[in-house]
Amino acid sequence: MSEHRHHSSSEPILHAQALEHDYGSISVLENVTLPISRGAVTGLIGPNGSGKTTLLRVLAGLLEPTAGTVTYNGEETARRIGYLPQQPAFRPGFTVAETLSFYAALVGEDKSTAMDRLEQVGLSDARRRPVEALSGGMTRLVGIAQATIGDPPVIVLDEPASGLDPGMSSHVFDVATELAGAGTAVILSSHDLELVDQHADEVVVLDDGSIATRGRPAAIRQSLGVDTVRGVYEASISGETTTVRVQGVSS
Amino acid sequence: MAADESAAVDAGEQTTASTARRRRLETIFRRELRTVARTRTFLLLAAALAAVTLGVTWVGGGFTAGYLPAVVDLLTPMELLVPIVAIAFGYRAILGDEQRGELDVLETYPVSARELVVGVYAGRAVGLAATVVVALGLVGIAIAVTGDDTLRMYASHSGADSPILFARFLVLTVVFALVVLAVAIALSALVSETKSALAVAVVALVVLLIGLDLALVYGLAAGLIGDGELIHSLAVSPLSAYRGLVLETTVGVASGTGPRIASPLASLLGFAVWTGGSLAVAVWGVSR
Repeated sequence: MSEHRHHSSSEPILHAQALEHDYGSISVLENVTLPISRGAVTGLIGPNGSGKTTLLRVLAGLLEPTAGTVTYNGEETARRIGYLPQQPAFRPGFTVAETLSFYAALVGEDKSTAMDRLEQVGLSDARRRPVEALSGGMTRLVGIAQATIGDPPVIVLDEPASGLDPGMSSHVFDVATELAGAGTAVILSSHDLELVDQHADEVVVLDDGSIATRGRPAAIRQSLGVDTVRGVYEASISGETTTVRVQGVSS
Repeated sequence: MAADESAAVDAGEQTTASTARRRRLETIFRRELRTVARTRTFLLLAAALAAVTLGVTWVGGGFTAGYLPAVVDLLTPMELLVPIVAIAFGYRAILGDEQRGELDVLETYPVSARELVVGVYAGRAVGLAATVVVALGLVGIAIAVTGDDTLRMYASHSGADSPILFARFLVLTVVFALVVLAVAIALSALVSETKSALAVAVVALVVLLIGLDLALVYGLAAGLIGDGELIHSLAVSPLSAYRGLVLETTVGVASGTGPRIASPLASLLGFAVWTGGSLAVAVWGVSR
């Protein structure tokens, strides 16, 4: 379903149109249309089970949508989309440097470029450490460094700040902003609404598999009459924010 | 002129694509090779296989009796042990990457399913081949050093024991191991959990070690396979093909008499079909 056309730079680099995704009889995404802009951070927020990971996987081309299309309008590069899974893990027995060098070699980059990416996420001191000896947060940082390898025009990060301390969470969002500043389209999911508020150029609230609200943070705050992205979140979610809504099960 | 330039550009792009493909294959190959070298289980398996081959040869008196008696002593243990070692080398090769989510990540790189499978197979194959070569090579060296008679003739003709016959056995054992490895890689690409991978690996071993031979016996008993077709039909089973090839090209050559035991051509073709088919299944499994 993923298509590729040549378009001008003003058009969205990635355009999801009327996406649907079902797991058997359970509908996880319903009529999701989402243009992803170049040089911008798109923050995807929503309750647990609202379909964020499924949407990110469809956008990254890892999951075929049941209906709808994802159109890539960017330039042809060795790697179109960088991806950080929700729970990144790497082959044990290799150091961080070896792991990133492996991925870098797949797109023709050398080891020094891979180390630059490690430095970008603030983990260059751990380059000789075996990946199995990393903490969860450090593994995520290596995953973010991996997602940037090959300079993909689109980077999809599934909860990049999960498991990180406040300083590193903020740093990860800074990295996302830097990447966007260099022209990369960054789409990330997060439950840290403050950081999304500070860094996202566009916020998408996903609720029960559909887009409830979408727009620039200031614009949607104004239209909903709230002061923060947390307020946007609470105003956009249809159910209880203290209860996990399981799709396909009506309460 | 424009057509010439276009052809030149096309040729240049093809060369670049080919170079990039080779680089990716080498990268995946090297990672697998390092994985094999750094995994203690594989080193233990290699040591165990070497110990068993040396032990079996010693118990059978092969060190003093010569190369051919050693081949006869080792053939049956190798029929059992080589598939087990080969399955152990391959059954988690692709599954491990899938479980860690690395297959998803690799999908965002310009790596095709075929490049991944070939790279993984090649890397593990080198490790497995080295394991078998070391185990049987040690036996060969031990026979050369401790044998009663110093061989002055390296012959492959009838009636003579020879290190060449042992070398044939070694090469055929390596080839057999690589065929089973391909099957293991295919299983690894089809399953999604370690438990199911183990269960499927056991089933595969039973099928490879017993099932296909039983099917051949049934085919012969039921008249589905004629007497004249048997030596060709053995190629259907990798184990029978291996056994037939070893007997035909080593023991049969040395004894110089008796009926044909196997069709080497059909057996090698059987190996090729099993290897190619298994790797094709693995490619399909990865790209699902």
